Amino acid sequence: TMLKGMTRLISRVHKAKHGEQHEGQHYNIPLQDLKAVFPHGLPPRFVMQVKTFNEACLMVRKPALELLHYLKNTNFAHPAVRYVLYGEKGTGKTLSLCHIIHFCAKQDWLILHIPDAHLWVKNCRNLLQSTYNKQRLDQPLEASIWLKNFKTANERFLSQIKVQEKYVWNKRESTEKGSPLGEVVEQGITRVRNATDAVGIVLKELKRQSSSGIFHLLVAVDGVNALWGRTTLKREDKSPIAPEELALIYNLRKMVKNDWHGGAIVLTLSQTGSVFKPRKAFLPQELLGKEGFDTLDPFIPILVSNYNPKEFESCIQYYLENSWLQHEKAHTEDGKKELLFLSNTNPGQLERLCAYL
Amino acid sequence: MHRFRTPWSLFPVFRHSLRHAGTPRAVLVGSSWPAKMAAPAVKAARAWSGLALGLRNAVLRLPGLTQVRWSRYGPEYKDPHIDKEYYRKPLAELTEEENYERELRKTQLIKAAPATKTCSVFEDPVISKFTNMMMKGGNKVLARSLMTQTLEAVKRKQFEKYHAASAEEQATIERNPYTIFHQALKNCEPVIGLVPILRGGHFYQVPVPLGDRRRRFLAMKWMITECREKKHRRMLMPEKLSHELLEAFHNQGPVIKRKHDMHKMAEANRALAHYRWW
Repeated sequence: TMLKGMTRLISRVHKAKHGEQHEGQHYNIPLQDLKAVFPHGLPPRFVMQVKTFNEACLMVRKPALELLHYLKNTNFAHPAVRYVLYGEKGTGKTLSLCHIIHFCAKQDWLILHIPDAHLWVKNCRNLLQSTYNKQRLDQPLEASIWLKNFKTANERFLSQIKVQEKYVWNKRESTEKGSPLGEVVEQGITRVRNATDAVGIVLKELKRQSSSGIFHLLVAVDGVNALWGRTTLKREDKSPIAPEELALIYNLRKMVKNDWHGGAIVLTLSQTGSVFKPRKAFLPQELLGKEGFDTLDPFIPILVSNYNPKEFESCIQYYLENSWLQHEKAHTEDGKKELLFLSNTNPGQLERLCAYL
Repeated sequence: MHRFRTPWSLFPVFRHSLRHAGTPRAVLVGSSWPAKMAAPAVKAARAWSGLALGLRNAVLRLPGLTQVRWSRYGPEYKDPHIDKEYYRKPLAELTEEENYERELRKTQLIKAAPATKTCSVFEDPVISKFTNMMMKGGNKVLARSLMTQTLEAVKRKQFEKYHAASAEEQATIERNPYTIFHQALKNCEPVIGLVPILRGGHFYQVPVPLGDRRRRFLAMKWMITECREKKHRRMLMPEKLSHELLEAFHNQGPVIKRKHDMHKMAEANRALAHYRWW
């Protein structure tokens, strides 16, 4: 049944005011904000949609609302709570994560966003032996790209936070105690060889200083099941590399542990980019494995499911308003019923279907 | 209709006379006995073939003729009726003939519907035919995904243009990929074609009016060959196809040029038009 009068929430309502009555409605993110908060991390199809429509609209959904409620009521004196978004493929875990990140950015939290941890455990061409610890391996390219994006996302914090230790990079370069974190990031970007170590330093400093209360830290990792699985990377002698031996993964695992306070940790599981995991697996136990589950335990699992009829209707209305559904029959009742059936109310599938109709 | 793959060139006479009852094609090699035998038999068959589709096979099962395209279904099988509205009509509303037809179909044998023919509202026979022509090695999944990506690419390009244009131009820009596709193919259809006719030991290219189906086929074939051959090695098919479709929609581009070349050749060989006897 078509619910008439589904309107879009186009106005820039402050995210704190999103409540249950806004469920199913879309809200607009201004494009400058998008470039500042999300230099990386948006799903590629969403980026294409933003480019085509010239506007970025996210739907407000129950999992995100639940998480926002928890985040609004976080007690920053207690250790950081871990929230895990899980669900089948295409249900909207990554976009929910982006909603949370946008909310926290508006509340002036420091966002530590790793767009896809799977990119760090596969298809890496140049692996260097780490200068800091001989057993571990460096990934200069991935680390430098991440540092560049981190800098774009958190410009204002880089000058406020001061490093609490002296770091010596090589014979000629070192960062003194008390210099701003921006210097470490610059060093990582310019000297690609030390990029992984720069990332490690950034993570360590942020963890130490989040308890001080100057800023709130949000750790957002997409595809966190990559940290505890296998990698597809091999050494020159063709022996496989375990995730612990990669410096980036090792440091990230320390970040995800809940032994610090002053923020929150929001994680997403993802089968799509994962390696050596069956296609139908989506539960935390299946994707994280025993090791990962035990490390993350205790956490708050949040299921992201397919659209309910109200949300589906709202999505179709959104596409119709932007005249994205051009096929004549798509406007009819029969067309909508068919779209419902073909997509099984899965948001990802619906988007792909509507793209060519 | 289920058709087996057989070498086409064996009996071209049959191929064309099976489909176009009214337009026989010329004999290729002079003394091929099936062709000579075919002509009077086919003429007789043609006399009866103002009949429904399903009975065509029955008509042409004459001795001495081997069919190029034939199906495993006998003549008693009827074609399936794929239409949700037809079956949803309550019994009270049916007319005499429809009632009779319904009862008849309950006892008749009916062919299985092909997997591509659905009662979906979004189905388009032209798109299905084009997808089948793009398909290689039976890989329909790939062909269909290429088709959908092409339609999406066309749509996104048109949306770009729409947002960049001023208010008056926005009314003229067409954003529906299906209308663009149909219009582009219609623009590419040639009106007149060339056929090799044997006279006095030489083959002459004679200008001939083409039927509807041949024109549609030629338009699609030209589009696909052009996109397959004249693209950069690293460029993907949807990108190239969407580009060509948009150009053809505006009556520009290499496929339209090929259509015009065909028209010019026909115009040049105008004098040979007398060689046509149909």
